[in-house]
Amino acid sequence: MGLVLISHSGSVVEGLRDMVGQVAGDDVAVGIAGGTEDGRLGTSAPRIAAALRSVLDAGEDGVVVLFDLGSAALSLELALEDLEPVDRDRVLVSEAPLVEGAILAAVQASVGASTVDVEAAAAAAATMPKLPRD
Amino acid sequence: MPELTLVVADPAGLHARPAARFVQAASKFESRIVIRQGDREADAKSLIALLGLTIRPSSEITLSAVGPDADAALSTLSAELSPYVSQAG
Repeated sequence: MGLVLISHSGSVVEGLRDMVGQVAGDDVAVGIAGGTEDGRLGTSAPRIAAALRSVLDAGEDGVVVLFDLGSAALSLELALEDLEPVDRDRVLVSEAPLVEGAILAAVQASVGASTVDVEAAAAAAATMPKLPRD
Repeated sequence: MPELTLVVADPAGLHARPAARFVQAASKFESRIVIRQGDREADAKSLIALLGLTIRPSSEITLSAVGPDADAALSTLSAELSPYVSQAG
């Protein structure tokens, strides 16, 4: 089980990969795709496809993908079309908030959960309480 | 049912990293393990549930386990939490 994190900003996904590693440990494969090929803010289908392939080729049986906003979804769609159907079937796209979802997904993945369970953990990030309740 | 009450001593409460370690440790046991704070409780094998408790510093939490490896689970998990808690009472 691996994760691919997509953002308009390379710095965002690099930092997020650090956070994921620190919280969930280094056993979870994390691929990142942030920014455009020429280093601007934006998303790039080829970079996303490369990140997906790097995690799939590492022998992970499935990948959960999280992304930040808007056109990231379109670039991701193009990247998925670029994959072989057999690889595409191993990818699950999550609509979870990127940061919280990535942390929750990675911890779930680190305990050996299935792709579906990992995606469910990420999805719960959307409604997770954050402020203390008395 | 073995039960253990602890007081969160870390000034940051139970934050993301220790909570994640705790979930990873709990997931290795077969028993159902519950962490309770006041009238709310969470499945110790779920980070979302655990972070959702938003455990504050100085609050009292109770760990309980039901299952074939319940005693071992509680002793492992209390060791896991030991840098962040003190024993209650």
